[in-house]
Amino acid sequence: MHKKLILLLTLLAAIVCGGTTTTLLADEASAAKVQKLIDAADAARKEAASVGGEWRDTGKMIKKAKKLLKKGDYTAAAKLANDAAKQGHLGYEQAMSQKDLKMPSYLHY
Amino acid sequence: MKKVFRTLALLALTCSIGATAQASTPEEDLKAFQDFYKKRFPNVETSDYVNGAYSIDPVGRENWEAIEEFPPYEPFIDDGMTMWETPFANGKTYKDCFPDGPAMKGKFPHWDKEKGMVVTLELALNQCREANGEKPLKYKKGPINNIVSYIASESRGQLTNVEIPKDDPRALQAYEDGKKFYYTRRGQLNFACAHCHLQNAGMILRTEVLSPALGHTTHFPVYRSKWGTVGTLHRRFTGCNKQVRAKPFKAHGEEYRNLEYFLTYMSNGLPLNGPGARK
Amino acid sequence: MIGTRKKLIGLVGAISVIAGQFAISPIVSAEGMSAVEKGKKIAFNRKTGNCLACHNIPGGQAPGNIAPALIAMKSRFASKEELHQQIWDATIKNPESAMPPFGKHGIISEQQLNDVVEFVWTL
Repeated sequence: MHKKLILLLTLLAAIVCGGTTTTLLADEASAAKVQKLIDAADAARKEAASVGGEWRDTGKMIKKAKKLLKKGDYTAAAKLANDAAKQGHLGYEQAMSQKDLKMPSYLHY
Repeated sequence: MKKVFRTLALLALTCSIGATAQASTPEEDLKAFQDFYKKRFPNVETSDYVNGAYSIDPVGRENWEAIEEFPPYEPFIDDGMTMWETPFANGKTYKDCFPDGPAMKGKFPHWDKEKGMVVTLELALNQCREANGEKPLKYKKGPINNIVSYIASESRGQLTNVEIPKDDPRALQAYEDGKKFYYTRRGQLNFACAHCHLQNAGMILRTEVLSPALGHTTHFPVYRSKWGTVGTLHRRFTGCNKQVRAKPFKAHGEEYRNLEYFLTYMSNGLPLNGPGARK
Repeated sequence: MIGTRKKLIGLVGAISVIAGQFAISPIVSAEGMSAVEKGKKIAFNRKTGNCLACHNIPGGQAPGNIAPALIAMKSRFASKEELHQQIWDATIKNPESAMPPFGKHGIISEQQLNDVVEFVWTL
């Protein structure tokens, strides 16, 4: 009887503790994932800036994503980081697609 | 073998001629630019473009003329005069840097061969301060607007006459960079300067008439009711870039300096009439 | 007999009115606003579509005149898809267009863009 109870309690403890560790691990894993997304967004922003194509709000979005990450709001932080990365890529593309100046057709030479 | 080299050399030469033939000269750019407005607004005198949007917006013009009766920029001119005359800590004044006096806006922006860059009025003023051991002024807000207002008011009537010296290819490159900036789409909204102030000049954006780029540089600095103060051309550049949701560049950094170089060149021949008053 | 008939006509009428409403706004969201109504809100709002900045739109206040008035859309676009592409990125059709690429640059979301298309298609 006693043995059984101890066994049961140990099992229970193992489950509970195990559970906690998994959530903790999962927490760390998502934080690291979001941090990676933020780093990628910042790299994209810098790439756009290197060709003069950075957009107004990209840096602000990255700052906000960092704050959300600190608060533990991973979903919102990840979304913002992804949006910022997209802006970085688009800004870079925008500048590169106009590498060669094309004068407007309405100007007559 | 020699023949092959000669053919190659010839080919290279043809290519380079082809490339230069494609690019337009500043003179051609100026003509195409000013002709565009003449065609779009045949009834507007070229000299009237110094009045910005009011050259093409008769309703706005009436309000503006009423404002100009008691110019809101006048106190700034007075404060600027005081600044001009007040000695630095070392006893020298602005006049020691600019011996020809404050009526000098017509000389800016200009290509400085020694420095290898476009020098704007604001930049030159700060260089003067730093050479005399003073802190440079902030470029967008504050006292810089006073001294620039005073200089602009003393320079009224001078003609815009930006030169691109032929003996320094870097000057032409700076002009070309400014031109490229002007026609390049930027920001999330994907507008180039030209989309609003050339292609759609005179059209109405919500309730605002889009001002023509011709004459844009003549009336700065301007007292803008929206700002509640006088502001410089580069402050306006910053605002425009933000409006198209692009990250603005540094005031009097290379990008905006070259932009000013190009844009002012486009108004060559127009008289200076700053400071101005705007909505 | 006549009374019953009138009632019947009334009933049919009521049904067709309801059906008609559904025909105009086939997609009704949880908040009870149709895609067309939502699209109109987005189109008129300065912070989202801000279509009025450049286009005259029936029912809109203080429009700009930079771009064509939004009328007779079905005669100007062969399909909703074509209209969708125009708002997504107008420079596909005209490289010199001044219209911001609302979809491509994420100025409004996919869903908002779809709603705006539904609204503009009714004009």
